Amino acid sequence: MATRVANIVVTSLLLFGVVLAGCAKRPATTQASAPAPTAPPPAASTPAQPSTAAPSMAAPAPAAPKAPAGAAMRPSPKEFTAIADLKDIHFDFDKYDIRPSDAKVLDANAIWLKSHGDYLILIEGHCDERGTNEYNLALGERRAKSTMNYLVSQGVQASRITIISYGEERPTCTEKNEGCWSNNRRAHFLVKPR
Amino acid sequence: MIQRRALALLTLVLALAWLAPWAPPPAPRAQGVEVFLNVTGGGSKKLNIAIPEFTVVSGTDPQGTAKLLAAVAGNDLTFSGLFSVVTATGAIPPNNPTALKESWSAFAAAGAHAGVHGLLALRGDRLEAEMRLYDLTSPEHRLIAAKKFEGTLVQARRVAHRIADEIVLQFTGERGVADTKIAYVVGPRGAKELYIADYDGAGATAVTRNGSINLSPVWSPDARSLAFTSYLQGYPDLYRLFPFERRPLQTLAAFAGINSSPAWSPDGRLLALTLSKDGNPEIYVLTVATGALRRLTRHVGIDTEPTWAPTGRQIAFVSDRAGTPHIFVMDTDGANVRQLTPSGFQTQPRWSPKGDMIVYTQRRGGHQLWAINPDGSNPRQLTFGPGQAQSASWAPDGRHLAFQSDRLGRWQIFAMLLDGTPPARITSGGGEATSPTWSPRLP
Repeated sequence: MATRVANIVVTSLLLFGVVLAGCAKRPATTQASAPAPTAPPPAASTPAQPSTAAPSMAAPAPAAPKAPAGAAMRPSPKEFTAIADLKDIHFDFDKYDIRPSDAKVLDANAIWLKSHGDYLILIEGHCDERGTNEYNLALGERRAKSTMNYLVSQGVQASRITIISYGEERPTCTEKNEGCWSNNRRAHFLVKPR
Repeated sequence: MIQRRALALLTLVLALAWLAPWAPPPAPRAQGVEVFLNVTGGGSKKLNIAIPEFTVVSGTDPQGTAKLLAAVAGNDLTFSGLFSVVTATGAIPPNNPTALKESWSAFAAAGAHAGVHGLLALRGDRLEAEMRLYDLTSPEHRLIAAKKFEGTLVQARRVAHRIADEIVLQFTGERGVADTKIAYVVGPRGAKELYIADYDGAGATAVTRNGSINLSPVWSPDARSLAFTSYLQGYPDLYRLFPFERRPLQTLAAFAGINSSPAWSPDGRLLALTLSKDGNPEIYVLTVATGALRRLTRHVGIDTEPTWAPTGRQIAFVSDRAGTPHIFVMDTDGANVRQLTPSGFQTQPRWSPKGDMIVYTQRRGGHQLWAINPDGSNPRQLTFGPGQAQSASWAPDGRHLAFQSDRLGRWQIFAMLLDGTPPARITSGGGEATSPTWSPRLP
């Protein structure tokens, strides 16, 4: 069993480069020129602008940003739906390696995915509510990535797979006990037709 | 010169208080003013300051602004941790030196070391407030400082905050932090919006209404914008919003994978952030004006949550490269990585704006706030419950922290002094409030 896990790790590392090549990359878009600032809030003994938060916050919600270049390479997560044939896998606290029993689940998922090559795959990585937000976002990313690497090692094309981390933001349950926490530490699978 | 004298007064008072804690005499009466010594929060080592209702010198005050200014500034002075506020009912009569002298004598007899005489002129929707600060330990009640502040009536709370900050400046040489904002996240999991409130929780207003998950807000050093993570476009990307301006949302980073944990450099030109575009979560530095990216960490583990030293020369961060997450420090070119916290589970490092310590969240069962010196010495626990404390954010004075706690059941935002004074609750809404970020002093 331990050998099996070691193999998985080695395979995952070998496949790392393949996986990277399969990941959509797009440049950050930033706005270089800032317009001249409006008058700042007042300094002492100068007349006050309407500078408490209220007036400007009554303005409409900010416009949505322009779609950055390359955004089309990331399919919208909303287009994917869960499917009963693909089972979740789960993780130990603060871990992102694939447990042997979950490897069997992933093997079955891989077989289904290979026989349904017309589907794209979204892997969600999730955490329990313990830990802290930003770290859990990174941890969920690692869980989704480990899961993806395993599927690729089983012959699923990396180019079909997109991953997303929700950190601790989308739990399936909210009770404060290990049963609920262990349910939430999961990789979840969704698909959409190509 | 005035500041130095005020500092000398504070020093003298603190020394006296240390030697012989005050035993206040019964409250005497003065013309127009009733005086009470109200020592709040272990006040024996604090400066007792009187701030009676402001004196209306022109116009009428149907909204009770004279009372509001004194109450808000008084709360600010108590919150500063430097003062005990001597409360009073009634205002000092206008243009009456004799009444002023009698009032200060009464306050001095009640234990006050300093007095604030506020003069309020009202005209239409505008107000002008003059703050006159007196040393009540001197026989002639020497005037330490006087300053005028203007604003509209709806800005009265802000005028009071600026008066309190000026008083703190006079006594400590550094402006107070009452004229600041706290931004935070509100909502159940799955739908979280960003809010901004005054530092004391007043005026809470939503600044995002996108129905998405918005996380990890952090103020830019000019206090004009917030960087934050949002699933607005489906994936965790980094954005910047300008809450006080009619200016569109700016996309800072939208690479494949996570775009998270924004941290502004002290000069506001650079943003440290976490991206997983190159395979796993690594720390990068983004030049905001050009979009240029520089990668700082290269490790197969998780590297995230950067925080800048105020010198801009080092960055502390979280890495699980030693097994569980710990706090590490590196130079801003990625060199000289060293582990700061030895064992356990630590996240959320926040470097003090004074540079002298790094606050972080220690997981041991639940979470509590700890601090450690940047050289790794003297790790110490700052919060002890009830409930958990996490997600600290420094006030610009390096003396106060905002954080989230579930001590009352739901997560809410609290603020505290580092000296162990019980935290004050900032948010009072019905939802969960998390991830506070304390603004720099407003310009």
